Amino acid sequence: MSYLDNIRNFSIIAHIDHGKSTLADRLIEKTGLVDARDMKEQYLDNMDIERERGITIKLQTTRLLYKAKDGHEYILNLIDTPGHVDFNYEVSRSLAACDGAVLVVDATQGVEAQTLGNVYLALDQDLEILPVLNKMDLDSARPEDARAEIEDIIGLDASEAPEISAKTGQGIDEMLEKLVEVIPPPKGDLDGKLKALIFDSYYDSYKGVVIYTRVFDGSVKRGDIIRMMNTGKNYEVTEVGYCIPGMLPADELKAGEVGYICGSIKQVADARVGDTITLAAKPADEALKGYKKAQSMVYCGIFPAEGEKYENVKDALEKLQVNDAAFNFEPENSAALGYGYRCGFLGLLHMDVITERLSREFDLDVITTLPSVVYKVVLKDGSVLDIQNPSNLPDPTEIAHIEEPIVKAEIMTPNDYVGSIMTLCQGRRGKMLDMEYLTKTRVQLRYELPLNEVIYDFFDALKSRTRGYASLDYEFIRYQPAKLVKLDILLNRELIDALSTIVPEESAQAKGRGICEKLKDIIPRHQFEVPIQAAIGQKIIARETVRAYRKDVLAKCYGGDVSRKKKLLEKQKAGKKRMRQFGTVTVPQEAFTEVLKLDDAK
Amino acid sequence: MANKTGLYIHIPFCIRKCNYCAFLSFCSEGAPLRDYTNALVNEIKLRASLMRAEAGLREDTSSDGERTVSLDTVYIGGGTPSVLDVSHMRDIVYAVQASFDIKKNAEITIEANPGTLGDNERAIRDRLQAYRSMGINRFSMGVQSMNDNRLRFLGRIHTAEDVELDMKIAREVGFDNINLDLIFSVPGESMDDALSDAQSIVEFRPEHISCYSLQIEEGTAFANQIERGVLTEVSDEEDRETYHRLCSILKSAGYEHYEISNFARTGREDGAALGFGDCDTDSLGKSIYRSKHNSLYWDMSDYIGCGLGASGFVHGTRYRNTADIDKYIERYTAAYIDTMTAATHTIKSDDEERPSTKEHLLLHEEEWRNSPFDNISEAVFTGLRRREGITYKDAVAAYTALECGEEVTGNAEAFFWKVFGEARTGAEEFVESGHLIIDDKGLRLTEKGIDISNQIMALFV
Repeated sequence: MSYLDNIRNFSIIAHIDHGKSTLADRLIEKTGLVDARDMKEQYLDNMDIERERGITIKLQTTRLLYKAKDGHEYILNLIDTPGHVDFNYEVSRSLAACDGAVLVVDATQGVEAQTLGNVYLALDQDLEILPVLNKMDLDSARPEDARAEIEDIIGLDASEAPEISAKTGQGIDEMLEKLVEVIPPPKGDLDGKLKALIFDSYYDSYKGVVIYTRVFDGSVKRGDIIRMMNTGKNYEVTEVGYCIPGMLPADELKAGEVGYICGSIKQVADARVGDTITLAAKPADEALKGYKKAQSMVYCGIFPAEGEKYENVKDALEKLQVNDAAFNFEPENSAALGYGYRCGFLGLLHMDVITERLSREFDLDVITTLPSVVYKVVLKDGSVLDIQNPSNLPDPTEIAHIEEPIVKAEIMTPNDYVGSIMTLCQGRRGKMLDMEYLTKTRVQLRYELPLNEVIYDFFDALKSRTRGYASLDYEFIRYQPAKLVKLDILLNRELIDALSTIVPEESAQAKGRGICEKLKDIIPRHQFEVPIQAAIGQKIIARETVRAYRKDVLAKCYGGDVSRKKKLLEKQKAGKKRMRQFGTVTVPQEAFTEVLKLDDAK
Repeated sequence: MANKTGLYIHIPFCIRKCNYCAFLSFCSEGAPLRDYTNALVNEIKLRASLMRAEAGLREDTSSDGERTVSLDTVYIGGGTPSVLDVSHMRDIVYAVQASFDIKKNAEITIEANPGTLGDNERAIRDRLQAYRSMGINRFSMGVQSMNDNRLRFLGRIHTAEDVELDMKIAREVGFDNINLDLIFSVPGESMDDALSDAQSIVEFRPEHISCYSLQIEEGTAFANQIERGVLTEVSDEEDRETYHRLCSILKSAGYEHYEISNFARTGREDGAALGFGDCDTDSLGKSIYRSKHNSLYWDMSDYIGCGLGASGFVHGTRYRNTADIDKYIERYTAAYIDTMTAATHTIKSDDEERPSTKEHLLLHEEEWRNSPFDNISEAVFTGLRRREGITYKDAVAAYTALECGEEVTGNAEAFFWKVFGEARTGAEEFVESGHLIIDDKGLRLTEKGIDISNQIMALFV
């Protein structure tokens, strides 16, 4: 019997909120490598933002020990996966490191779009899938329906799916027994040339980049010179070990095992997820399949707010980049906002996470501008420009045509909301591909949508129209020509470049009007009238006016009012600090991101 | 910084709550008026004794260390203090007299609402006479309007006729310092209505007029109605126009516009009294009828607050009493105070323990010890409420008043702008736009500047 027979490498896949992290917590608790008192709630979600939002963005992996009823002690390597459409590639690499997956389905909700998306990713990797019904402690659990959905929609046999409650711990033992039985042990050639898959990495200020890896063939130990097969870079291994989930150094990592490798690597971009590690002295013939370079889909400008230093922002962005290979930035100069950075993200959530970390972890005051996608601008001379900043759009007379990115979106929804989703998608220039009744009450809609229609508030609009029941998954498919124009905004007759956007010609008028109305609400009254105008080129297409304020005074200020008044004035002052001065007009910072959130239903 | 001390006493009861009122007040019917009075008397005694002990400590006297605190003003406000029986009021005023040293020229004000003084002329006279005999020398009446329909709409219980009678009797019993409150910008009220209210009030020739723009406060009946769309607020534009016209009516009737919402009679019966933006060189100068007590709030003087929810500012610390009436009445019993006061006396020389005892005694819901910056900042924004504004000298004095305040070097003006360096550009912009005057003495608002005074004050917090 080989040591491999006692190893199980698996992931947990689930839709957001279906209880993946809670289940991971229970497993860690049950299999005892972390002391109960060290257990933070949801151990694997190690960033505050993730914990707050209840979603897992960054991966962590952990080694569990489980003594099964057959008397053997098994090493269970739990490889956690992020749970959002922005991180599909990362999910696929994590799954590639596994031999099986536990599919968690919320017994009160059933199968959702993301569940399906991740299941397909898992099936792509030929993983053995163990379905599990979670939240069985809730009265609203309907396990039979969920079982039927798993069988009907996904096509997996769910008759023996364990019924568990990650929250109360109910059914966890049965699940572990089943896991050992269903998920196969890893295969691997210990004597072969080293092939290890990087499925995650992070930067540690003492050890440099810590690589999480699954070894497929061969073995690696301290002192080895390793080579990243895609980037071609060599490093000397300074430490290998297991993640429990803290770091436990080991002599070597062998084929079939999961663990970490350190090698004084300076930034995570040098140990890109999906790359294959081999030995420089005896390299493998070919790398593992599936490596992709990170591609930014969404861009926005990040500028220091009034009183914030440019250098601080730069330092923070650099620190974030060290830890996030998918995030990139370059200097940018805006007439309105001054010096800042153009930043690229995998998607909107990724962007939100980065900007929130800037304010939370680095205590920075920044302005983020409207997100934009990358347009391919074909000029009359035949050359093609990639434009992600509307201000850089060449003069219309030079442009032959513009192409925009199109995504394929899968929306899963209860059938009641099909109508309003179709209206929404049509309003966003969506093209319906097909619609499928997965069950009697569950529908999957497939649409082609321009990505720029998805990035502002599509997800919010979808949730609000379906009372939160619809789920969305999307992937980039191609570039496609479109009639697009640059929409400019003028405040007090001054063009504010940071508010320019690229919009479809046909909806420019409506968008212009919407933005003007929104700005009218956002921009505080001044001592004078402030005209807000939307323009295409020289042509004004919409106009609103912020009236001058007339009254900002407290009639009474007696004994008990002084403290109250002071708080009020402090708030007023703080509010003013969060404003940006354009000539004589003051604009609150949220204007730059809020302005395009124009759900047409509202 | 004026070295004065006032005492505010809160009576949180009214016959009914007005539709615009967000103050702490309870319906007087069936309320524990006697118990409240007793508790209040106890709190007054307790505070006086704690302050005596503290003053003694500060003076470091070798004797028993007791120093009676002198009061420049006493203000009995509410609520409606006149809903208390005269006997209750007497207990309260006597307690003040017994516990503090009331200065010879002290201003002692009582607030009252028309229609609460008595059922007939006799009863009203008796009550007002009783107030006089207690030493109360200033009378403040919540008139609000002289139009019965509007009074009803506001939720007031009185009529214009009540005001006339109360006013007549108040004069007859000898009140020679009377304030009348007026409210404008009431929904549904036209500008002419407001102006004619002011005219009617001026005809009484009160020594003082408080003239408030109605503010819709959260949780009031008006706020509810506005939210439901039943009521429409007066527009800012109309409110401001009304305000400025009221200012000019009152000034030309001889009332000095000395604070954003307050006017005081000058010697001149007709002809312009001073207002915001005017120079002080005019021979008329300050009215002698400015509210001395309210002025304490605007010049960083000390004021002691007693009663439910009352606020105080003593030796650089701001506090607010509990708003829980049951707790207030239950805790401020004589027996409890006696024991605790005795305890305070025995340990008063021990600096370590005394504050915790004090904490234990006083039912403070909030307490905030000002920093020198807090002090100067409050001096500026409260000072700017006054016609004369804030002088550099007074602002800096507020900064250095606290024991922890640093030594000020150089002249006051330079120091002021060192502290508020960041505010300077903004302030100068307001000078440019005609809202603010800055000269070598200090800063003051123009009448136009009042309208946006929060914007200007926010520069200095």
